[in-house]
Amino acid sequence: MFQFENITKKFSEQFVLENFSFTVSKGDKVIISGKSGIGKTTLFRLLLGFESVDSGAIYFNEQKLDEQTVWDLRRRVAYVSQDLNIGRGKVRLFLQDTLLLKANLHLKNTSETTIKEFFNQFCLNESILEKDIEELSGGEKQRVAIINSLLLQRDIFFLDEITSALDISLKKTVMDYFFQNPNYTVLSVSHDNYLPQDIEVKTINLEKV
Amino acid sequence: MNGAVDLSIFSMIMSGVLLAIPLIVLWYLRTGIIKNLLISTVRMAAQLVLIGFFLEYLFRLNNWLANIGWFIVMICIAVISVVKNSGLKLNHFAKPLLLAFLFSNFFVVIYFNAFISNLDFIFEAKYMIAIGGMILGNSLRANVVGLGDFYKSLRKDEQTYFYKLSLGATKYEALLPFAKKSFMAAINPTIATMATMGIVSLPGMMTGQILGGSVPLVAIKYQIAIMIAILTSTALSIGLSILFTVRSSFHKNGVLKKNIFAGK
Repeated sequence: MFQFENITKKFSEQFVLENFSFTVSKGDKVIISGKSGIGKTTLFRLLLGFESVDSGAIYFNEQKLDEQTVWDLRRRVAYVSQDLNIGRGKVRLFLQDTLLLKANLHLKNTSETTIKEFFNQFCLNESILEKDIEELSGGEKQRVAIINSLLLQRDIFFLDEITSALDISLKKTVMDYFFQNPNYTVLSVSHDNYLPQDIEVKTINLEKV
Repeated sequence: MNGAVDLSIFSMIMSGVLLAIPLIVLWYLRTGIIKNLLISTVRMAAQLVLIGFFLEYLFRLNNWLANIGWFIVMICIAVISVVKNSGLKLNHFAKPLLLAFLFSNFFVVIYFNAFISNLDFIFEAKYMIAIGGMILGNSLRANVVGLGDFYKSLRKDEQTYFYKLSLGATKYEALLPFAKKSFMAAINPTIATMATMGIVSLPGMMTGQILGGSVPLVAIKYQIAIMIAILTSTALSIGLSILFTVRSSFHKNGVLKKNIFAGK
């Protein structure tokens, strides 16, 4: 599904990814680890085409990612960012806006029930739908962003420290949700030690590549 | 119309004497801007004297080509001023902004002259330069605020923009919230001015017309028309500026080019 081929990229002052190769197949669960500041987020930014590699190439479904093909990837991957500046205004409108983008128009009839089921699943009170994003706590924003990504009904997930503001039981709920679905291809950055049991996980440790 | 009373040399000297008051205050406060104030005053006087002679000549000539030519020069200077004051790079923004300004300002001025002032000669120097100047001045102010805000917030909130792209948004879909916010920032001052007009301040155009001999009721009609014209050209120019500059300010992958900002 994804193939990194001899990627070289200067991530930060101290750290350079050199001739890195890695393959992600459909259904794989990949954990990206390494100390803070090493460039884990940069890996997602490379995949999403917000930054480019110094040399080497990334392939998505056998197609080389470039300035054009990256638009296709952005329509097929669900990204949950570590940055919580996800938008402004009411949560309900925020979720609606996502489904009203041209690329997602086929989902515009997503029912209220579906949305509320996700809210229950991740222990969010339904009243949050009527709140402003700015009023929410970090953990609430994080879960709204997760729900936003799930409403897209895509099956490839880029998860960037999505449980950092959640308590341990919620962490478990969230991680299990993504990791235990065999159809999901997941690339996840996490500082937490919790890993779902009995699931085969691939690891990219940026300190050791 | 008799026109305003001409000011004699004595009058001009008396207005210079008035300048002594701010000068004394600034000297007393030791602000160190006395030099700047004097330079600005001299520059203002020199520029206005030159432009006074030039306009007198232009109004007497009243040739459509010369009028249009001078208006284009005014637009070019306005565009340069917008780019400089919003921290953007001139060689990147000059062309699209010039297009946006030419279209929005010419459209409104010609419309004003043809359908509001009902002139037989729509390129009449007095109207074209005076009305055009007012409209252009306001487009300039609005664009310094709006265009500057647009690109600065895009740079600052790049994450929000990227997040939207990652959800599958097209470039334009992801830019829309930014454009909306900057458009509002540009146009709100004009709307606020309209709401307090005549009470808080007697607008410059009305003052000029009243001193020039118009009765207040004629002056207010012009004032109403000019405010609407200003609002229109402001909205048009900021909208077009954003639309035209967006086309060349991003890489093909949707990432904002970093070299469009003027360096320190």
